[in-house]
Amino acid sequence: MLEELQFLFSLVLSGLSIGMMYSLIALGFVLVYKATDAINFAQGEFVMLAGFLVATTLAANLPLWAAIVFGIGIMVAFSFVLERVVLRPLLGRPVVAVIMATIGLAAILRGLPPITIGAQTKTIPLPIGDEPVSILTATLPPIQVLGVIVSVVCLGGFTWFFAKSRMGVAMRAVADNQQVAMAMGINVERYFAIAWAMAGIVAALGGIIWGSMLGVDTQLALVGLKVFPVVILGGLDSILGAVVGGLIIGVVESVAAGYVDPLVGGGTKDFAPYVLMIVALMFKPYGLFGKRKIERI
Amino acid sequence: MKLAKTVWLGSALAAATIGLAAPAFAQDKEIVIGAQCDRTGPTQIVGTVLCPAYHDYMGLVNSRGGVEGYKIKVIEIDHEYKVPPAIEAHERFKKEGAVMTSAFGTPQLIALLKKFEEDKMPVTSPGIGSSAAADGKKYPYVFPIAATYWSQAGGAMKFVKDKLGGNLKGKKIAYIFFDNPAGRELIPLLEEIGKLEGFELRTFGVPSPGIEMAAQVLDITSRFKADFVVAHLFGRAPSVAIKEFKSKSYPLSKVIGLVWAGAEADIVAAGGFGIAEGYNTLQYAGVGSDFKVIKDIIAMHKAQGRTPGKEMESTVTYNRGVYQGAVHVAAIANAIKAKGGGKITGEDLRKGFESVTTLDPSLDGLAPPLKLSAEDHEGGGWVQVWSVKGGKFVKSSEWFQGYRDVVKKHVETENKK
Amino acid sequence: MLYREAGNYKTTYAKDMALFPLPLTRWVAAALLVLFVAIVPTVLHEYYLSIFNLIFIAVVGALGLNILVGYTGQISIGHAAFMSVGAYTAANLAVKLDLPFWITLPAGGLMAAFVGAIVGIPSLRIKGTYLAIATLASQLIIEWIINHTPAISGGASASIQVPRPVVFGHELKSQLDLYFFTLFFAILALIATVNIVRSRLGRAFIAIRDQDIAAEIIGINIFRYKLIAFAISSFFAGVCGVLYTYYFGIANYEAYQIVVSIDYLAMVIIGGLGSVFGSVLGAIFVTALPIVIRLLVEAFGGFIWDTAALSAVAASMRLVIFGALIIFFLVVEPEGLARLWRNIRNYFRTWPFSY
Repeated sequence: MLEELQFLFSLVLSGLSIGMMYSLIALGFVLVYKATDAINFAQGEFVMLAGFLVATTLAANLPLWAAIVFGIGIMVAFSFVLERVVLRPLLGRPVVAVIMATIGLAAILRGLPPITIGAQTKTIPLPIGDEPVSILTATLPPIQVLGVIVSVVCLGGFTWFFAKSRMGVAMRAVADNQQVAMAMGINVERYFAIAWAMAGIVAALGGIIWGSMLGVDTQLALVGLKVFPVVILGGLDSILGAVVGGLIIGVVESVAAGYVDPLVGGGTKDFAPYVLMIVALMFKPYGLFGKRKIERI
Repeated sequence: MKLAKTVWLGSALAAATIGLAAPAFAQDKEIVIGAQCDRTGPTQIVGTVLCPAYHDYMGLVNSRGGVEGYKIKVIEIDHEYKVPPAIEAHERFKKEGAVMTSAFGTPQLIALLKKFEEDKMPVTSPGIGSSAAADGKKYPYVFPIAATYWSQAGGAMKFVKDKLGGNLKGKKIAYIFFDNPAGRELIPLLEEIGKLEGFELRTFGVPSPGIEMAAQVLDITSRFKADFVVAHLFGRAPSVAIKEFKSKSYPLSKVIGLVWAGAEADIVAAGGFGIAEGYNTLQYAGVGSDFKVIKDIIAMHKAQGRTPGKEMESTVTYNRGVYQGAVHVAAIANAIKAKGGGKITGEDLRKGFESVTTLDPSLDGLAPPLKLSAEDHEGGGWVQVWSVKGGKFVKSSEWFQGYRDVVKKHVETENKK
Repeated sequence: MLYREAGNYKTTYAKDMALFPLPLTRWVAAALLVLFVAIVPTVLHEYYLSIFNLIFIAVVGALGLNILVGYTGQISIGHAAFMSVGAYTAANLAVKLDLPFWITLPAGGLMAAFVGAIVGIPSLRIKGTYLAIATLASQLIIEWIINHTPAISGGASASIQVPRPVVFGHELKSQLDLYFFTLFFAILALIATVNIVRSRLGRAFIAIRDQDIAAEIIGINIFRYKLIAFAISSFFAGVCGVLYTYYFGIANYEAYQIVVSIDYLAMVIIGGLGSVFGSVLGAIFVTALPIVIRLLVEAFGGFIWDTAALSAVAASMRLVIFGALIIFFLVVEPEGLARLWRNIRNYFRTWPFSY
């Protein structure tokens, strides 16, 4: 009995920690949607790109901090250019056009590394050791502990940013109603660019954490697939939703793998979160914390 | 502006048509091979190493003067692990006069199974496709030419038995697998070996994309408390598994990964050879660069003024590409000898494959002692175990076959259905 | 393309609804029919016919998806799953009951339509992006069920070989035979779609897409029509899956995974949402463009890279150019290729006297 409880505790703990790491990726998605209403299907590829940048800089024997600064810097620059060249011309266009553009972008980003820096798997060694960290009866890999810390800092930082800072309030205004924001003298396009840049920063951090955990090659982009149930469950435009969604999905995946898989013969982990998501959406169609759209004729 | 775009598009299309219009006819003293590759898409980590290796070996053969006076020409088409492009690739190969195909990707191979038979074109599928294809009577044109998943499972269990002191009675064996047909295919065979040896088998499915499996590994290590783990994982999953077992302090020397879970890239992505110390991998071709053929390839590159590619560092996958090429060359040589020259057809080549017993001697040590025949297109199902020790792969066994009779029986019953 | 509409007046409702509003369009359609039935298969090499076959099958699936996404406004990222439903239904019927294709094909479509209608139920409450991701769930769940039910999948390898279709005692085997087979169903799907979208049904779909609350107020039963849209769209997908099955000679769910769903979504968006012609253009674009790019890189890449590097570069370049072209076309014309085509046609319609 005690053993079973310990097992459950370990499952939940690892679910929570991995869930926080999903939230980190989901955050980039939410930031963009919140400000610009764009769905970024290339979020995973963003993370992959950042991973490649940091890993290549490290391979050139530069110190870790330089690699991180470099990675974040390039990601911000990349996001600015992307917003200017691709997304701004699509402003006000059907939402599927933006989705498709990001799918095209994903293809480009997956195609580029093999031509430029080689398809071989690269690593991001972080100075945190390999010894598992014990928490009561359970253990976690050190990278996950670091991932949780980075996620918490990021999520907290952005929550503060939107609640208190002048720029954040302006961004909320833009998200709420672009026309009114414009009338109030807010430079809407500039804030769109800033939103993409913030997504770039988050992707860079995600790339470092996930890249360090999974190794860096084009497979790193797969983490992008994992965030869909997270953002939908939490609500597409809510940072809090990204956190809660991430935690729920992480725990559900973990518990499904531990308790449902043995009953049905494997592999429920991947779609259990989606089933939960659909059920939740039937009651709350805009996610747990998403803003309800009021439709008028 | 609009017009300019139209003109631009038109010229691009026109250029494409010109490119299409220039046909390349196979010459008399030339064997054309179609290579389907996956340099992009989810399995590119394999394709970007295996395909260059294959080209390198064929280049080496041509630089030695070809096979029995014939030059080999390889046409490569990348299918991005999607099915429709593989169909197109097959038709293109046919148009260019290819007499055989080097396939990569199980869904693509399956979608083309019927076509290969109708077009009488032999195809090799080392490490992929259905295990039942080892039966040459049922699948006359498919040649796995390396240990199929069933043979791998047999080999892995034999290794496990040796490691656990020669007796598996009452032991707990965990099978962690990618939850797709290739992963599930092994379960009945493992169950049968389980009955035979009296061990308890439990299976743990990891769904695609397999970037997170803490729960399954936790289950294996702390609830099931497995004595040994057989891991049949693909893509990123093997390295995630290594990392998770490490973080649960489970000894990696009690884990054996099947052929797609044991490349250098998997170890590197898991955090390096230091972390994976003890991890066992099953191989169907030798590991490392200490083979004559590899040195020959490097010498060839240098002689042609090129630097050998980075892919040569991934020796596990690279050597598989070389091995694959060597089997093809042996089959081509057989076909030419049997026919005494002239135009080689797919049918000739099939017979050539079915009489492959010796390979290029420079592959000594790299290649298993395979013997292909009309019945056995797998060549015996030989495997070797290499383990991570002191920062590199070290050979832990010679070539061996595991539970050959069980595997054979399974192939028979599956094909009788 | 270069014709004048002047002098053709629509004086009755019947004329306004006509499939071919102008005599000339009828001629164009007839000419195209002759081109594809008589000229293309006799002139072109088998290799090109195989590309046509892939395009024709894709046209069927793209048309179905366009009915759902383009006409009804419900984004779906689970289209490929319905193809696998159709594929396995047909394969099981063909193998276990030995039924011919003209029974298995509609059966596969109907089964897919049934599953599609179930998947469409959440669309009552969930909308837009939320619905799109919910359909992703259906993709994963259907895949899982097929993978874990041997009665459907036919065993551990989840693939079922089917015999080639037989028409009047002739086994359809070569690319040429299959060309007529796929062409027939592509044309059938085209005619069906054109008729659906101009009928009462299609108008209801469009009303729902444009403003579903308004549609409800004018008396359209939204739930019913959304489900019908899901069912029709899935029917097409199911038929598409059956066509693939007969074309490959085998049913295997790994040929219908998420990437396929995304490819089909790409077809309808790049081609043009809410445009039948756009679906065709999109199917051609997504199927043939990678081939064309590869051939171009093969033909001209030799000037930049040596042969050893070329095959490595060709694969990745194809991805990059393909992605860049998608973005290029969307930035130039976010409403797709069909709109681009219309723009060009309108330019020429009054050319050279555009003022």
